[in-house]
Amino acid sequence: MLSRNLRFLSRRYSQGVTFRTTETSPSQQNENQIGLFYTVNNDVCKQLFGHGGLPKSYMKQTKTFTETSLMVRLPALDIINCIKATDFDKPVIRYMLYGEIGAGKSLTLAHLLHYAYEDGYLIVHVPWVSEWLRRVPRHKEMSNSPTHEGLVDLPLDGAAWLLHFKMQNQVLLKKGNLKISKEYVWSKREQTPEGAPLAELIEHGITRVKYACDVIDALISEIKILSNSKQCKTFVAIDGFNTFFYPLTRLSTPTKKKVTPEEVTLTKSFMELTKNDWVNGVIILTADQLGVSQDHQESHLPKYLLYKKGFEHIDPFVPVEVGRYSEREFMSCASYYRDRLWLRGPRETEGELKLASACNPYKFMELCAPL
Amino acid sequence: MFLCYNKMSFAIKLTLKQALPIASRSSIILQNVYNYSSKATSQDNFYNNFTDWETLSKKKKVSKAMRAYLERAKEHDEFMKKQQFEYNIGKRHLANMMGEDPETFTQKDVDRAVEYLFPSGIYDRAARPLMKPPEEVFPARKAAEFDEAGWPHHFLFYTGKPNFFKLLYDITENIQDLYKYGDKVIRKKEVTDEKLLLNITGSVWLTKDQLEQLLVETVTDLEYDNFKLAMDRLVSLPHSHIYKDFIEKFRKPLATQRFALEIPKPSYDENGNAFVTTYECLRKKARGDVTIKSPGTGKITINGQDLTYFEDTQSREQVIFPLIFTGMQDKVDIVCNIEGGGPSGQSGAIRWGIAWGLRSFVDKDMLEAMQLAGLLTRDHRRRERKKPGQPGARKKPTWKRR
Amino acid sequence: MSNFRYKVGPIAKCVFQTQSPRSNLWCTLMQYRFYPRPTSFPDYFQNPIFRKEDQAKLIESNELTKLAALPVKPPAAYETSSVYHDPLVSKLINHVMKMGNKKLARNLVEKAFENIKRIQIERYHLATTPEEKAKVVLNPKDILHKAVENSKPLLQLLPIKRGGITYQVPGPITEKRSLFLAIKWLLEATNDKERTIHFPEQFAWELLDAANNTGKVVKRKQDIHRQCEANRAYAHYRWQ
Repeated sequence: MLSRNLRFLSRRYSQGVTFRTTETSPSQQNENQIGLFYTVNNDVCKQLFGHGGLPKSYMKQTKTFTETSLMVRLPALDIINCIKATDFDKPVIRYMLYGEIGAGKSLTLAHLLHYAYEDGYLIVHVPWVSEWLRRVPRHKEMSNSPTHEGLVDLPLDGAAWLLHFKMQNQVLLKKGNLKISKEYVWSKREQTPEGAPLAELIEHGITRVKYACDVIDALISEIKILSNSKQCKTFVAIDGFNTFFYPLTRLSTPTKKKVTPEEVTLTKSFMELTKNDWVNGVIILTADQLGVSQDHQESHLPKYLLYKKGFEHIDPFVPVEVGRYSEREFMSCASYYRDRLWLRGPRETEGELKLASACNPYKFMELCAPL
Repeated sequence: MFLCYNKMSFAIKLTLKQALPIASRSSIILQNVYNYSSKATSQDNFYNNFTDWETLSKKKKVSKAMRAYLERAKEHDEFMKKQQFEYNIGKRHLANMMGEDPETFTQKDVDRAVEYLFPSGIYDRAARPLMKPPEEVFPARKAAEFDEAGWPHHFLFYTGKPNFFKLLYDITENIQDLYKYGDKVIRKKEVTDEKLLLNITGSVWLTKDQLEQLLVETVTDLEYDNFKLAMDRLVSLPHSHIYKDFIEKFRKPLATQRFALEIPKPSYDENGNAFVTTYECLRKKARGDVTIKSPGTGKITINGQDLTYFEDTQSREQVIFPLIFTGMQDKVDIVCNIEGGGPSGQSGAIRWGIAWGLRSFVDKDMLEAMQLAGLLTRDHRRRERKKPGQPGARKKPTWKRR
Repeated sequence: MSNFRYKVGPIAKCVFQTQSPRSNLWCTLMQYRFYPRPTSFPDYFQNPIFRKEDQAKLIESNELTKLAALPVKPPAAYETSSVYHDPLVSKLINHVMKMGNKKLARNLVEKAFENIKRIQIERYHLATTPEEKAKVVLNPKDILHKAVENSKPLLQLLPIKRGGITYQVPGPITEKRSLFLAIKWLLEATNDKERTIHFPEQFAWELLDAANNTGKVVKRKQDIHRQCEANRAYAHYRWQ
């Protein structure tokens, strides 16, 4: 067993020179490691991405490759450097990741999440907005919101998200430094007093699904206060932000009336969060074509995807383009696939694959699949 | 002559009229008859003449078929002469109309003139106005197949297609000869020279229509297949080079090596980079043009977009195919404009365009390899039209036995 | 009987040479007419040889120049010279295709290969010793070849009528027909699947089973062989 491990490790080392890096901490990575793969620890992975966060196709790959590894790419490094250099007394900076379908926006976001986790940020991560607004099974449980008039609530989704939040921020919540500033009365018999730890608020939201969305509202205002008072630094990551501004959702009220995103309480909460009236935090958003319906997928640029309202809402922001693979990144990815036994065949085929996939990461993965 | 005629009995007159060929009522024959009727007895003349009864009896039996044939032949000859005359006059008129010299007016000039004076939008070339020498326009007819008495000249006349069956007979004869020759060679243990072997690549057998033209007879499909089989058998024998001329008569050489002629020289743009443009890239309904720039990096631009213009893998593979085949994937840049058709048609058109343009940048061996791979063949296939009475182009309504 | 009428059509000439608006209109009108063109190439066109290995063979035997002088058909829309192209895979995709939907067929077959790959990689990682690891076949195309080979029947039963009774007589089978039957049986076995299981998954399982000489398809082939063996006595009926 030991000998096999040694053999394994030695093989890895000899091959790891070309496409792997042993630098597993995102905060320590620099330009030398662009195009190289680093492995994320399994526990960290489960904690961060237990309830989504990584694309489904990528999850399948993790299972096949028996490891989760991300490629270090230029957009992620740029943002990390910017974050390191920000002045946290100024209002939050919003970064917008955009790119073609399959360019790697969600995985870049995952990379940044890993960095945030290591650096001890409080993570607010929405894995995929369309999940709430557009992935509607036969009947989506909706209820009319008790606090906000005329708006619709998604209690189950809210509760699921709170669970996700809890898991991501286990460490910070266990420390118990974060306390809520005011009292919340949910009903005659339920209330969360002032000064109670954040964890309690979240627990309440998870157990009492009915109040989940209100809990989210409360949570967000608490987070803003805490950040402003420098008790914690916050990292907000929302994948598929443009779905909030698309005119339609797939939800419909029992009266068969279509619901717009503005009528959903969750939208409102996250709009609150993404306003830049608070300090000591970072907001990263993605604009994804797959979040909207096929007819409106003409362009991948943020101005087109966000519509006027969204653009005005997050203006000013820093757009970051996530592009296709460069030469070096492509070769490194191909070597990685070979190592993981995903790609076989003679070396010349890489040229063909490069041309056929046009260096799009997702397309490349798809093309390698049957080979 | 006139006097003799009057003296003859009526019966003889009749037989004379029947017997004698129309064109040749010469005095010599009449003199013979005269000799007969006046009981010529001179010894020398006797042996010069045929036995007169036999001659008469022979000449009597001009068969009806012969007579009919003679009439038809005469008509045809007159007709052809008239046509030839008209054709020549017409040619001179045309030359005058076009303002050119009538003496040196060739057939090509005639065609050009007709196309200019009578422009036609009809697609079928056979239906457009044409002016050609009457031998080409009117089908050939056979010469006299039987002589005056009705005896056929050809020994296979009664098969109905003497020329065709003579051909098959020749082939079989040649095959038998080659067998004997082969046996002789083996007995003598001679070694055949390799260079004499027949090379039939680059040519095909004549088509049925061409064979019909050559033999001046109709040939059915079955007979044509038989002919091809027999010729193939002949060619496959080891010493078939002996009958090379015979075989060459029935082989048509294919139009080849077109891909190697007229390779365009690359033009140079401002920076001194070489580029070649291929216009008229067609496949199904797609039309476009492809520009290949020589010192390049493997960038492909289609209608302003990247290779992502095609979403499906198959089209992309088709576009890349010629580049990978020649190994020029990172040595050239490609810019194309395409419209019409669907993804398959457009990618096929681009593939041909790239291959055709790469001819200027590739050496001779690779050129031959490309031709062998079929990359340089223009794909002329189009969608077959639906026919009336059928649901589709080939699909027929349900077949009912009764 | 020749099925094509070769007439030179000046549609392309129309489009590119005439410039005046009136003739453009005429040309666009002409474009919609289905002018009779050949729908297949004449007999004397040779089949294209575009795979690098086949061309290498020809270069060795010095026949390249001769063959390049002949007219050659263009390769089909799904054939490339890349290493990943396999004629058996193309044939399989054609058999899977329904109503001319090649995209979907290709997608399904590729997903099936992906599934095979994933299953095999899992087995590879589970295998402990290097010998076992070496036995696991990772290339899905190899598995396909093996599966088809294992499910090809060697004889077929021909119904021959003698004296009013139709006997099932064992007889020879051509290569082509045997391949066709193998692919057909594989697809039939895949299509008898549960409603909730998708085609690629079921197909992947069938292929893996067949490559292992187990499973429904191989059983069917063995049934045929057994019947042929049982009906050996009637074999002479083919020649009566």
